[in-house]
Amino acid sequence: MTVLEKGAEGTATWVDDRLASSNFLKRSLNKVFPDHWSFMLGEIALYSFIILLLSGTYLTLFYVGSSKELIYDGVYTPFKGVPMTAAYASTLDISFSVRGGLIMRQIHHWSALLFMASIVVHLMRVFFTGAFRKPRELNWLIGVGLLVLGLVEGFAGYSLPDDLLSGTGARIAYSIALSIPVVGTWAAFLVFGGDYPGGQIIERLYPIHILLIPGIILGLITFHLGLIWYQKHTQFAGPGRTENNVVGSKVYPAYAAKAGGFFFLVFAVTAGLGGLAQINPIWLYGPYDASTVSAGSQPDWYIGFLDGSTRLMPNWEIGALGHTFSPNVLIPTVVLPGILFTLLALYPFLEARFTHDKAYHNLLDRPRDKPVRTGLGVMSITFYVILMIAGGNDLIATVFHLSINQITYTLRAGLFILPPLAYLATVRICKSLQKSDDDLLSHGIESGTIRRLPSGEFVEETVPLPEPWRVLITNVKTPEREAILAAGHGSQHGSVDGAHGAQPALSPAAPVERGFFRPKNRQRQPVETSDVEQLEGTVD
Amino acid sequence: MTESNDSIRDRLKASADQDEQSGSGDTRGSELQTSDFQQTDSRAELPHGEQQTLQRSTLPAPTGLDLDPAARASAERKVAGLFLMSVVGVVGFIATFIAVPFDFGTRFSTAYTPLLGFFMALSLTGIGAGAVLWAKTLMVDEETTQERHHQASAPEDRAAAAAILKQGFQDSGLPRRSLLRNSILLGAGSLALLPLPLFTDLGSWRHKERVLSTTAWRKGSRLLDSLGRPVKIGDIEIGGATTVFPDVPGGRTQARSASLLIRMRPDQLKQQANRADWSVDGHIVYSVVCTHLGCPVKLYEQQTHHLFCPCHQSTFDASNQAKVLFGPAARPLPQLAISVDAEGYFIAQGDYAEPVGPSFWERKPSYDKKAGS
Repeated sequence: MTVLEKGAEGTATWVDDRLASSNFLKRSLNKVFPDHWSFMLGEIALYSFIILLLSGTYLTLFYVGSSKELIYDGVYTPFKGVPMTAAYASTLDISFSVRGGLIMRQIHHWSALLFMASIVVHLMRVFFTGAFRKPRELNWLIGVGLLVLGLVEGFAGYSLPDDLLSGTGARIAYSIALSIPVVGTWAAFLVFGGDYPGGQIIERLYPIHILLIPGIILGLITFHLGLIWYQKHTQFAGPGRTENNVVGSKVYPAYAAKAGGFFFLVFAVTAGLGGLAQINPIWLYGPYDASTVSAGSQPDWYIGFLDGSTRLMPNWEIGALGHTFSPNVLIPTVVLPGILFTLLALYPFLEARFTHDKAYHNLLDRPRDKPVRTGLGVMSITFYVILMIAGGNDLIATVFHLSINQITYTLRAGLFILPPLAYLATVRICKSLQKSDDDLLSHGIESGTIRRLPSGEFVEETVPLPEPWRVLITNVKTPEREAILAAGHGSQHGSVDGAHGAQPALSPAAPVERGFFRPKNRQRQPVETSDVEQLEGTVD
Repeated sequence: MTESNDSIRDRLKASADQDEQSGSGDTRGSELQTSDFQQTDSRAELPHGEQQTLQRSTLPAPTGLDLDPAARASAERKVAGLFLMSVVGVVGFIATFIAVPFDFGTRFSTAYTPLLGFFMALSLTGIGAGAVLWAKTLMVDEETTQERHHQASAPEDRAAAAAILKQGFQDSGLPRRSLLRNSILLGAGSLALLPLPLFTDLGSWRHKERVLSTTAWRKGSRLLDSLGRPVKIGDIEIGGATTVFPDVPGGRTQARSASLLIRMRPDQLKQQANRADWSVDGHIVYSVVCTHLGCPVKLYEQQTHHLFCPCHQSTFDASNQAKVLFGPAARPLPQLAISVDAEGYFIAQGDYAEPVGPSFWERKPSYDKKAGS
């Protein structure tokens, strides 16, 4: 026994004497996690949050969360003698006077973008594979909560440097609050400490950004992971995989080593970006000045869709009953995100209600096997992407020398026309993919080899579908597949080694004529076919 | 040892035998095999209540253990190389930190942060890629099957929990004692109201309607440019524009007072009759605060006389009462009535006739009629 082992055993005994930890360890270290590349998207979000905590804590050592005015006297010579807030001056100091401050700032910003991006992509994975279904609706709700908190947290952090860009963002937020009927003015004055700029917002956003929201996010992430651990991860269908088991790697040691290594790789990516790719160069924007603005001002990407919806909205305003209603502001910035996030949160319950599905689901769907859900997802993504594009309509106009008015009118129309089209196209594609799966199931994989039989006939050889693939397809039972399976296909079909060369490789009992949505001869009963017909079915 | 459904550990053992034959002295395989049996025993002891069992899958998991000894030794060298790469990264990071000049404006200072990032990424990649490669090539990672436990409790457990809750509720006496029940509801409910007054001082919201409806412009206020110099007639060329602020203390920083003085040929101005004396010889002043969301509308296009807001692309016609030509803004930019004092400096005739900036609930629609738009 080596010294290391002795030490480990001693420590383990000491801990176990007090906490009876061995029972827990025994079970936990043997816990099985299924493996699929798409399961690491959530991991990226987790790791970038850890990086955000580390880099953010470092930044708090130097950042001054104060909107107190001062005259800049730092090392960045272009701003010597310029009046600015302490917040902006300290951000300049982090960038120019603190050695390694700039890289930490940029790592922090890049990780924030990555955090939001990985949450969104992870959400798509969970959506399109149906991982949100019973029993995991609670974790879906937590995830949606994390997404919204991430948005708010990002916006709060974006505002802290108090540069020209972020100050403009804060002013827009103030104006949006003003537009809320009845309580809007109160809310805006309450949050900003009076009429804009109010002199309070930095002081208030700072504790919200570094303590309140990250604390809630940390708690929710813990709960999110706890539920994954407790309910066990979902898995795709495959040989030996059922609704009642988990097939994969044990946590210890290989899975843990891979996950731990992956954390460092994510960190490496953000460090590389933070060092080599400039982001948010606040010294180029200058200190905030309420009477100044720069052209082409853009928020961080995750706010872009709200910026876009605001840009696309027609200028409706109603003055009535002695008050002013502002649908031109309220609808794109308050009502729209409210509806979007509510629908997102309720989706698992809506789907379960409309499909009358009360069963437990531990096996994931392939997106093609749920055309309606996949269609709805692609429809939503299309809607979202159009809004994001609209958020950059001024940049598009500048780069491509187009009229910004025409771009806006086009996007307005596109917002209502394209999502339904995307839905229809997706449903069609899904159904065609299903059909191609049916063909694989009944024919096997085309080998590309044509064999000439002694009788002079030509037949094409097919390779039987590999077992994992076959199980993945047959996990979903459509009437077509039931028919194929009932006809005895879909298992050991086809021939590779030529041992069955005397037999045509393919003998569909019910030749399936392909249609776009469903086989054209769906209702046809399987019939005995002659050799000649088989041959026709083979080499077409 | 050629059957495909052999346990990995068996194959490992065989492969370790090979190692010994080839004299590499690698004994990992046999050690692991011993521990395998122990582990198998411990699996048998898993508490039955957990309803979970581990079983080896019949499928061989893809691991690097199928590699021959030479390939495994090579994999180990690669992993070790990656781990050592992170040492290089750390050394480079510290060396950069110490040796590369950092101060703004000095030579190489622009290379400082990229170098730090490069070395940091190098060291993190070394650890990360090393760990992943190690796990993929050298660790035993066989596919294992574990049963799921039931997600819902057994019906009798549910019933028992419900009974406990019900009994406790009865034992508390709450259902029988209505005075207790009502008083605790009232007490806890009023306690929820207690923090509310604490938040009222977050904002100075007295006279908020007046605050939002007025600016710092006063009758006779001179128009100061952004450097604080009063602007007089002739300072601005035809086609020019400049931001102006009221000549009052704090006028430069008050967000809602900022205005834009534009000069165009008098015949280019389409003024309504009631605003005929609001401008002076083609000089006209609008609020820069966008009536949409408050961004400064300062991009002035002198050929078309368009004022453009860079935030959401609202476009206003400066030659025609700043009416909205395009975009989400609903109202024209308010116009400030100006005149010229005895010394030739521009002065305001008074405050804006309507609230500047974005709409708010208390804003009276009658302002629009008053302003004559």
